[in-house]
Amino acid sequence: MSERPSLWWIDWRLSRGPLVQETIGRFLFFCLLGFALLSLLLSGGVSRILADRYAITAMLRAEVPSSEGEGLARKAAALPPVRSATYRDPEAAWEEFLRAYPGLGPVRGAGENPLPGYIEIRIRPDRLTGADVDLVVSSLRSVPLIEHVLAGEVWLPRLLRAGRLASRACWGIFGAFLACFFLVGRLQERARAVALAGDFSFLAERGVPSGRLAFFRAAGAAVSGFLLAAAGTAAGGGALFLFLRMFPFLEGVVGPPSDLLLPRTVAAAALFSCGAALLSAAASVLGWRAARPGRK
Amino acid sequence: MIEGFRLGVFSRGTTLWDGLDFAFGDAAAWFVTGPPSSGKTLLLSILRGERRPDAGDVVVSGESLYRGNAALARAWRASCGHVPEQTIADARLTVGDLFRRSALAGGGVRESERKYRTDRLLEMVGLPGALGWRVAELSISERGRACLAAELLRGPKVLFCDCLVAGAGVLFWEMLWGLFRALAREGNTVILAERRIPERWALAAGNPEPVGPFRVYRLPDPAAEVKGEPG
Repeated sequence: MSERPSLWWIDWRLSRGPLVQETIGRFLFFCLLGFALLSLLLSGGVSRILADRYAITAMLRAEVPSSEGEGLARKAAALPPVRSATYRDPEAAWEEFLRAYPGLGPVRGAGENPLPGYIEIRIRPDRLTGADVDLVVSSLRSVPLIEHVLAGEVWLPRLLRAGRLASRACWGIFGAFLACFFLVGRLQERARAVALAGDFSFLAERGVPSGRLAFFRAAGAAVSGFLLAAAGTAAGGGALFLFLRMFPFLEGVVGPPSDLLLPRTVAAAALFSCGAALLSAAASVLGWRAARPGRK
Repeated sequence: MIEGFRLGVFSRGTTLWDGLDFAFGDAAAWFVTGPPSSGKTLLLSILRGERRPDAGDVVVSGESLYRGNAALARAWRASCGHVPEQTIADARLTVGDLFRRSALAGGGVRESERKYRTDRLLEMVGLPGALGWRVAELSISERGRACLAAELLRGPKVLFCDCLVAGAGVLFWEMLWGLFRALAREGNTVILAERRIPERWALAAGNPEPVGPFRVYRLPDPAAEVKGEPG
């Protein structure tokens, strides 16, 4: 016999049935949380919806040739916050105008196109902020070939504020679910510690320090919490991937499935698993303190 | 050697006993009798290092349990086995769980070894095939014997039994008699607390030493018995 008993997975050794049920419940909950987390990470709350609908329009001067307009669009596309910059020549602009306002064809009169060419610039969802929009707008305004830049400066701050609030609300709901996990986990740990109080007293009476018991229980909870969160997030990610493949229109809201494998997404999932491990360990310690041996 | 010096206990608003001296030599089976409510269970918990006496001290192999190093006291508790009189908290467990838990307290018992020793110990205490039985469904006698077997799994150096003999019933006295003396022969110390000692055991043990409300007997070891010497 070794001098010190191994107390790893002590709850598993003492009470397997209830622990299996708890583990299954936690895994399913982590699947749900993982799905929500990855959806939020990819969509950036409501940023992707806003970025999909917001565009900066740079009206070119009438005399700007198409080749220069296209060159300008390529330069605009190279700006860091810009997702895409598309040049529309005067004819394409006129056709779009007629589609938007049918019946206004006679305005063209004798055949001269009254509309100039323009560049439509879309911002990356993660860079849709006032500062980045200002950066793009100021860069465009400094170009002599551009006559006007329409960026909705009047209503954009309100829209961005509303977007920020909506994103915070989404993350708040996610945080509330995480807090629920912590509270339920603490109650489960406490109930298990109470149920196993006799066993822990038995071990304490036979020279096993209570501190070691608590430490190994918390360590076991942390390891299992990390593994469950990682597995749950992976399963949630798989479900999200299938959803996005089955319903492509969701890509406009959530984002492309390929983003699930971006390093930052994987890093965020790993961070989430670490957080779940810490919460599990904290729930274990608090549950233990509420029902530790010696409290009769 | 387990020694209690000037032990005193204040309980239920009064002094239960005070100034008691005990000396339990190694490799022997000891029998402590006392009337109901005399503090036998309390005495065992004090000797095990579980309950600090209100007066006096317990010294094990020259080290104080309560005034010395806490690690030594823990090591002492780890070397002890304890069969309690009440096992209400274990009612939800099976006999197999008792062994699993005992192995956990001992640490490092291999699964195959545990199963082998469990079967042999259960057979020895008259409970063959009882591994899956629920403790709640056992009689007082069966519970005591199952707990005893589970404690023996760890091979404790010192075994404390609280009212085990009375609970086990007359049918198992012979088995226990042989077991305790065999343990003592192998160098272990057994301390039993009971209300009364079986008559045959008392005759074999000879005159007890009166200590406060208790009578302390030393059961004769087999070699001494063969020679006809007192214990």
